[in-house]
Amino acid sequence: MRNYFQVLALGLLLTAPALANQDGLIVRLSPLHDKASSTSQRVGQLSAGSRVTIFGRKGGWKEVFSEEKSMVGWVRSYQVREGNYAEQAPKETEEDSRGFLAGLASFSRKASRFLTGNNSSTSSGTATIGVRGLSEAEIKSARPDFSELAKMQQYSSNRSRLDRFVFKGQLSANDVPHIGSKKKSSSGGKNLEK
Amino acid sequence: MNPIRLLLLLAALWIGTAGSAFALDLGDLVNLGGKLKKIVSEVTTEEEVEMGGNLISGLLGAAPLVDDDELQRYVNDVGYWVASRSSRRDLPWTFGVIDSDGINAFAAPGGYVVITRGLYELLENEAQLAGVLAHEISHVVRKHHLEALQKVVKREFWSDLTLTAVDNKKDRKKLGKLVNAGVQLYATGLDRKYEYEADLRGVVLAARSGYDPFALLDVLTTIDSINPDSKELSVMLNTHPPTGDRLTQLADRIDGHLDYYATGQANPKRFQQVSAAP
Repeated sequence: MRNYFQVLALGLLLTAPALANQDGLIVRLSPLHDKASSTSQRVGQLSAGSRVTIFGRKGGWKEVFSEEKSMVGWVRSYQVREGNYAEQAPKETEEDSRGFLAGLASFSRKASRFLTGNNSSTSSGTATIGVRGLSEAEIKSARPDFSELAKMQQYSSNRSRLDRFVFKGQLSANDVPHIGSKKKSSSGGKNLEK
Repeated sequence: MNPIRLLLLLAALWIGTAGSAFALDLGDLVNLGGKLKKIVSEVTTEEEVEMGGNLISGLLGAAPLVDDDELQRYVNDVGYWVASRSSRRDLPWTFGVIDSDGINAFAAPGGYVVITRGLYELLENEAQLAGVLAHEISHVVRKHHLEALQKVVKREFWSDLTLTAVDNKKDRKKLGKLVNAGVQLYATGLDRKYEYEADLRGVVLAARSGYDPFALLDVLTTIDSINPDSKELSVMLNTHPPTGDRLTQLADRIDGHLDYYATGQANPKRFQQVSAAP
């Protein structure tokens, strides 16, 4: 079995164009499945911090190759983070994943600027009333700005604008019931009640 | 004073008490006549929109809109489309990107949703934007803020006080304390269960709108990779469950339900064109 995966992985690596595969990092302990489905066979697991090569994506899954384990399989899409990292993030245990995730930011292009964040404003919850994401100072100086509200309302969309937007973006309206709701899909889809 | 006036006052308290227009007038509160029982069901849509508008105005006073017409219109198009797939499509949905480095998004009753520039800049495609907006839209659709307010009012006011007769110093002090307790509750954010619910309903809304619903999980993964000590993230982490917990819960709940829709659009090109605009 192991040899089969090795050969398969090697074959894929050799035949695919160099740029087609992407580096990835496993962000949390992830079961490795042989298909892109949670009911498929579990062929192993990858620990947080493992480096992988991402072959592709299907549904909410990514097909990855772990050189360390010589294995190919599917993991949940959110369990692997894409990126071309120059230096390997320190490998840590599952229990220590918080620290690992902080370190992971070093390879995340967009997140890297937050590495220098300080600790000064992490404790106070009282001054950030309802306005989540703004600093204490910003809130304290807050006065309602109704002209800004009027401006915001001017940007509101409408039916005709929406039609163009939806068409251009090739967006389709799907009939998807809420998960855990008792309502069945009107298209006769599967009942999502749990 | 009618119940709505009280709600508006309480709503004002969310924004902060520093602004003079929002200074708490205990007199207004104690003059309230009649008991208020079922706030959520009694609030009309019109009143809800008014309350939300006041809330958002305060927020805009703290951080104005990013000066970019194309960006603002684009976010409104994405949001309006996703909201149109919800059960409250008839609200006057209004969206905006506010000029703050903080990483967060905020919703107010009546269909107002804002996202900070800090969060917007973390996003990589339209599906991720749709996912974030869908989470906030779900708070509005489910009237989470109104429900939270109702709880505060019920617990902190009505059980202990006859508001028509708060005329002595002791009761006034008590009332003041209770108001602060209500404000405090909002400082800690919505109930965790509301956040999990908004995550779960948000991904379904995204799927309904033709987007890849897993994009919200990608956003949460990105946020999870940010130094939790960074000041940009501090408020979000104070007011939301730990991002890792949200990811685990969400992934468990949607397991197998939405795989079919993962081939939905992400529209990275359109997103990047707007983002790159001067």
